[in-house]
Amino acid sequence: MDKFALNQFLTLLKREVLEHRNLFVLAPAFLALLLLFAAFWISKQFPRDQLASGVAYLAMLFDGLSPVDMAPVFMIGAIPFVFLLYTCAFVYLMNSLYQDRRDLSVLFWQSMPVSNLKTVLSKVVTIAAVAPFFYIAVLFGVYLIAMIWLTLLGIQFDIEIVGIGYMFLAAVVSLVFVYLSAIVTALWLFPSVGWLLLFSAFAKRTPFMWAAGVFILVGFLEDFLFGSQYLANWVESRANPNQYVIFSFGDLVDRLFNYDMLFGIFVGAILIAGAVLMRRFTD
Amino acid sequence: MKNIFLKNRYTLLLTVLAVYVLVLVIEGAITGREAKVVKFDNPFFDLNLNNFEEFMDNRD
Amino acid sequence: MTNIVHARSLQKSYGSFQALKNVDLDIPEGSICGLIGPNGAGKTTTLKALIGLCDVEGDLLVAGRDPRVDRHKLMEDVCFIADVGILPKWLKVSQVIDYVDGVHPKFHREKALQLLSTTSIPSNKRIKELSKGMVTQLHLALVMSIDVSLLVLDEPTLGLDIIYRKEFYDRLLNDFYDGNRTIIISTHQVEEIETLLSHLVFINAGTIVLNAAMTDLEDSFTEVIVSPELRSAADALHPIHERELLGKKSYTFEGVPRAELKQFGELFTPSVADLFVAKLKDANHG
Repeated sequence: MDKFALNQFLTLLKREVLEHRNLFVLAPAFLALLLLFAAFWISKQFPRDQLASGVAYLAMLFDGLSPVDMAPVFMIGAIPFVFLLYTCAFVYLMNSLYQDRRDLSVLFWQSMPVSNLKTVLSKVVTIAAVAPFFYIAVLFGVYLIAMIWLTLLGIQFDIEIVGIGYMFLAAVVSLVFVYLSAIVTALWLFPSVGWLLLFSAFAKRTPFMWAAGVFILVGFLEDFLFGSQYLANWVESRANPNQYVIFSFGDLVDRLFNYDMLFGIFVGAILIAGAVLMRRFTD
Repeated sequence: MKNIFLKNRYTLLLTVLAVYVLVLVIEGAITGREAKVVKFDNPFFDLNLNNFEEFMDNRD
Repeated sequence: MTNIVHARSLQKSYGSFQALKNVDLDIPEGSICGLIGPNGAGKTTTLKALIGLCDVEGDLLVAGRDPRVDRHKLMEDVCFIADVGILPKWLKVSQVIDYVDGVHPKFHREKALQLLSTTSIPSNKRIKELSKGMVTQLHLALVMSIDVSLLVLDEPTLGLDIIYRKEFYDRLLNDFYDGNRTIIISTHQVEEIETLLSHLVFINAGTIVLNAAMTDLEDSFTEVIVSPELRSAADALHPIHERELLGKKSYTFEGVPRAELKQFGELFTPSVADLFVAKLKDANHG
């Protein structure tokens, strides 16, 4: 890829973030503030020396442990952010190729020398890799504030706080795993991403109704025409939440290089190609 | 051929959906696909915080 | 003279409504071409088809490319301004400049900044906070900073104050047009642009009613005020239009040699606006 093409793609990604800063920056920041406030309020319910002994216990527990091995424990803290991310991702994908046709700004975007393929790919990369990055960054801020607070508490009560440092490192490594999980999830759900983009590009109104309605219809039609339920089988297979999280770098390799993942990417690519072609119908 | 499936947004959608369903059905028929959860082996799925210390000992 | 637009048998339907019916269109390079028509005639559909924003049937080549297939390549050489509302409202002025700079290989940032410095547009404001006139100024400044060979304008001055309109056409002619670039502009405010045009296209109900160079109009169209006693003789020559003019009747003829018409009175070339009305009424009468 030449320098201009790369720069052009980065400009497209920047546009996505600016356009959706509510979903990608403000929403997680708001959640973070809410959680910090809740944590602060909860901590106020306990006497400080009791908190301090809790901190001492944790510090002792984590002292000397490998952050990479301990990281998965801290992934629990990411759960509310993950729920928020996927809610925002759904809204984002559903609107990504629809909103600009509604407000006619598509006439400007399409008057620029950016191919439909690059436009659609920029939306995919935004949701798979860029949006999660902002969520991770906010979560990092939360962990940093938590660490500072625990350290200050520790110093006040003269507790050995090296263990807090180990905890923080484990929390930071957990963010790496959360980020990689987000990318793996986007790939694992590639057909869903493609489906939403296809209907975002297709619908003249109510893209969600089209996406949901046609999905149900296609399921019935498959049974009616072929007597099979492979679509339903796939949905059921993908419904277990355990598949979406990676806890180690070894997990990453397992996830990426298996048949179900690769087939899903292939099918998703068909739907995304449909979205790219659909983009020519802007009226 | 292109003029048929690219005639308008509806013909394109139908074409894409037809390809999508055919691919799923053919793959399912060839591989004998059933609904199953792909098993990823990972000890943390069994993590229970109450037994954390025991869990730590088991890991080492 | 090469044609920058070559279109044959363009068709477009929206449901049962036929927006374009077998449109043939050739527009020469380097011309300033006015696309004139009433509301619903198919002006916007035609212009959007030229830049690949509207899928049409038929043969279409713009600057040597098919806009339906190569839109993004075509957009390196073509720019489009629609009636004001299309710049994304949530972008700041500085951000839209950054965006065009990042995606367009032929954009000259310094030129855009220089052009904007002559306006009162603040760079940190969002586009939704700008007046309609400023948005057009901004869009024109962006477009004029790109090395395009074709500029397509769809009612660009719609709803603007006269000062903004005058400035728009001033800039377009003095700073943008260099004899090699082509401008295609649609409007229903005919009087405003008729002095600018080198080429004229009338469209009505999805069909091209006229396609001529301004210099050829004089040869083809003649208007003459005919006194009552000569009217039956004038009728015999099949005028395309008649109208009342200060108590007298004015006849418009197409394709009739001026030598034949001299007998009826003083001859003059109809204005674009009058010609437009004449051709429209002529088309309606079949």
